[in-house]
Amino acid sequence: MGLGSQAGCLVLALVLLSPAVLSESAVAQAPSAAEIARGKYIFGATGGCGCHTIPKQPVNAGGRKYDGPFGTVYASNITPDRETGIGGWTDEQIITAIRLGRRSNGERLVPVHPYTVFNGMAADDLKALVAFLRTVPAVKRANQPKKITVPMFESVFLPAWLSAFAPRETPPATVPTSGVARGEYLVRAVGHCGECHTPRTMTMATDNSRFLAGNPKGPEDSEVPNITPDKATGLAWSEEEIADYLGTGNKPDGDVVGGLMGEVIEGTLAGYKDLTKADRLAIAQYLKTIPAVKNKIGK
Amino acid sequence: MELRHVRTGVILGSLVALAVVGCATGKTATMGSGDPVADRQRLMKNNGANWAEIQNKVKAGNVEGVAVNAEALALHAQRIMLLFPEGSLTDKSKAKPDIWQKWPEFQAAAKNFENRAGTLRDQSVAKDAAAVTATVATFGRDACGACHTPFRVPPPPQQPAAPRS
Amino acid sequence: MQRRHVKTGVVLGSLVALALASSATGQSMAKIWTSDAVADRQRLMKLNGASWADAQAKLKAGNIEAIAVNAETMALTSTQIAALFPEGSLTDKSKAKPEIWQKWAEFEAAAKNMGAQAEKLRDAARSKDQAATEAVAKEFGRQACGTCHQPFRVPPPQQQQPPPPSPPQQLQPR
Repeated sequence: MGLGSQAGCLVLALVLLSPAVLSESAVAQAPSAAEIARGKYIFGATGGCGCHTIPKQPVNAGGRKYDGPFGTVYASNITPDRETGIGGWTDEQIITAIRLGRRSNGERLVPVHPYTVFNGMAADDLKALVAFLRTVPAVKRANQPKKITVPMFESVFLPAWLSAFAPRETPPATVPTSGVARGEYLVRAVGHCGECHTPRTMTMATDNSRFLAGNPKGPEDSEVPNITPDKATGLAWSEEEIADYLGTGNKPDGDVVGGLMGEVIEGTLAGYKDLTKADRLAIAQYLKTIPAVKNKIGK
Repeated sequence: MELRHVRTGVILGSLVALAVVGCATGKTATMGSGDPVADRQRLMKNNGANWAEIQNKVKAGNVEGVAVNAEALALHAQRIMLLFPEGSLTDKSKAKPDIWQKWPEFQAAAKNFENRAGTLRDQSVAKDAAAVTATVATFGRDACGACHTPFRVPPPPQQPAAPRS
Repeated sequence: MQRRHVKTGVVLGSLVALALASSATGQSMAKIWTSDAVADRQRLMKLNGASWADAQAKLKAGNIEAIAVNAETMALTSTQIAALFPEGSLTDKSKAKPEIWQKWAEFEAAAKNMGAQAEKLRDAARSKDQAATEAVAKEFGRQACGTCHQPFRVPPPQQQQPPPPSPPQQLQPR
């Protein structure tokens, strides 16, 4: 290419780009199809945000009930509805709610939504997730107010509990893309497996010294299995079997998962089953590296 | 007590009871098609396919693999009696009237099939190659033939290909 | 007509009819109405699991047509499911959820669906079409089993020990 045509290309490029440069914010606000797809993938890796969906009802429309020692909360509507959902929130506000547990009106979330765990999600993944959330069909359903039975819950108790007892994940500088590091990221933060699979202390926080060692009284009164590599009481499957299970729900003995785990494998618009084989193997590899904890769940 | 009034009651009561029983056993008597002949022929075909697979697996040295097929036979055996209700001897059926004339013997034959299939399954689970081979050598005659010989109209000389399922 | 005479007759007649019906259908009647229903259905479900495991092993080995026998076995067992969950059979040993009887129509539909999915798998295997069989098998666990286990079964608290490399080992001698 001659100098003249190079210069010409440069001028042309500047001319074409300048409107984009001038309206940078406009470009930044329109996520690409790739970003939305990435967001949907992350959405599936969380189990399809199933806590925000009542089975068989519209996705992300909230309303699902959670009873705890604090009282009762109902999952929020996280569809893009402007009145009753998060349609009127900025990306920053949504991300703040997801990882810091605060709403745009200053209200704290009750950590049934495990924001201290989601704090371990990378910024890029959160941004993509928000982009995807905005594409889910908007549903008009007003949030049901929580019923807190603990006095001074939000002003005193919750902040104290969060700082004293709740373990907090920290985000990676960049998203791990493969291997055990990837598996660790998916298990500890995005998949938030510990929320069901880690036993609770007396204060109802997760006991991370026994990470993933099972919970005899999990959500909806379920007995949640020990998935540490303990030979007697934990998970003895091969990496291939674990990866296969996450993708299909098939267990090595021919049984097929049901219950809440079945729900997150299936997901809503996406679930664990939509993770790539590489990611499912990474999760399996990571599970083989965590400390084996002897904890027998069930009879 | 007026006997004819009681008799009316007896007839009414029997009819109602039989209807109830009919409905209740009806739930399990067939496999949804409502046609016991079709249902039992379907079950027997699957028995044949499981038996064929047992033989293939043993030939290939797969002793442990036999258990799932043997257990299928054992569970199917439990359903046999319900699939031969009174009056189900139609043109399509290969059953002999002897079944209903010698009902306790028919019942014993079904039980024998169930027991032998269960034994085969246990031997397979125990990975006992010698026992499995010995059982399989005579199973066709002892488990299936023991019933087919007295109670089934033999198929015509032209044998169809072994059922795949 | 004297009602109480008729009533006596009704009672007598019912008893006699039931006794006759009992002796005719013998064993089967006992099976429907004993507490063995839990043991029976757990045994049936174990056979389903073993059959599905066998089918998956065959699929891995490229042994497509042989899957048909497992699929048909599952189709046949599916026709028994509803009868194995009579009212009042929710014992301590059972992993059934009370939802089964609260949503009986859905439960029955789920059992029928299992049969339909199994027949689909059987027919694909019979056609010897590997791609078609793989496509059905890919979804089978979730569609045929998971759709019922999810709402209607209490999940097991431990994962079963994995079976040895070839076939399933979990069938217990009785």
